[in-house]
Amino acid sequence: MTLRIALFLLVVTAFVSAQNLRSTTVIYDDIATAVEPARPDASQLWTTTSDLKRATGFEVKPQGVCRDELCFPLPKVRRKEFIGRDAGKQSFNLTAFAQLVHQPVVHDEGAGIWYFGLRADQRQGLASLRAPDFTLPDMEGKMHRLSGLRGKKVFLITWASW
Amino acid sequence: MRDAGPWITAAHPTFAALIDEKHLVSKLYNMVNVPTGVWIDEQGYIVRPNEVAFVDDRFKNFTGLDSAPYLNALKDWVEEGPKSAYVMPADKLQQKLTVSAPDSILASAEFGLGEYLYKSGRLAEAIPHFKQAQKLNPKDWNYKRQAYALSDAKRDYGTSFAEEVEKNGGSKVYYTPPDLPGASSGKPK
Repeated sequence: MTLRIALFLLVVTAFVSAQNLRSTTVIYDDIATAVEPARPDASQLWTTTSDLKRATGFEVKPQGVCRDELCFPLPKVRRKEFIGRDAGKQSFNLTAFAQLVHQPVVHDEGAGIWYFGLRADQRQGLASLRAPDFTLPDMEGKMHRLSGLRGKKVFLITWASW
Repeated sequence: MRDAGPWITAAHPTFAALIDEKHLVSKLYNMVNVPTGVWIDEQGYIVRPNEVAFVDDRFKNFTGLDSAPYLNALKDWVEEGPKSAYVMPADKLQQKLTVSAPDSILASAEFGLGEYLYKSGRLAEAIPHFKQAQKLNPKDWNYKRQAYALSDAKRDYGTSFAEEVEKNGGSKVYYTPPDLPGASSGKPK
């Protein structure tokens, strides 16, 4: 009987782990990417470093977590909060990183989605009074970049058809 | 594109009319309603912040707002540049533009997730996130208006746009008038 219960618990544990490791969608910079969580943890999102690069463009480098010229140093004493090793691969805690860079995160466990909002560095433009830059398409799909209008006054007006 | 496209085509705009399906500009500039205008100078700096920006009087009966003072102010800035009295001082601009409330920042992410779920055909799963965004930042009318437009507002939110406007003092106080010097005459004092 004891063995049966033990086996049952083992099966349940394996099932729960498999559920927590099921494919998850990460939405970063409003782009959705399917990733395989590296660790069964419903409250935090650990990804492999290759999924980190694929989903966010960021890479773990000696100087910090970087994307192009942008680099966020990881506090040395807290390194284990961000970088781990799971199933023989380096893993990265994307939710802890979001907290470090003051980025809002919303998790819908039922839908299997993690949504990452704008980081503090992306929101700081307004304090400097420099108009935050963006690129958007017109009706024909031609892309327009706000900063491409330097040298001209710009009246930016928004409306919606709802 | 499907909804806004016909309006843009009919207007034959001589300026760039852009499609912002993910509300990126609202997120970057902390906009909470439409129509909202921002003035940006030749060097890329904001000289007037987010404010209600009616460019004609088609909604005047609803809002009580006359578009003339704002349009006159805009023309004045085009002609006078930094000398225009409607260019706002930097400290006032910073005060009006900066949003640091954690709830407002989180609301933006809740709304973004709701939008993603809606666009994936999962309206029922999107609604709790739209509701949470509205709860975290009740001053953001974009969250209400967009969510109501995507479903049956009465059924899913227990309210309607008209009821929400009434709750907030009625249509004449729904929009905060632009903070223009000498607004009543359309010219600075």
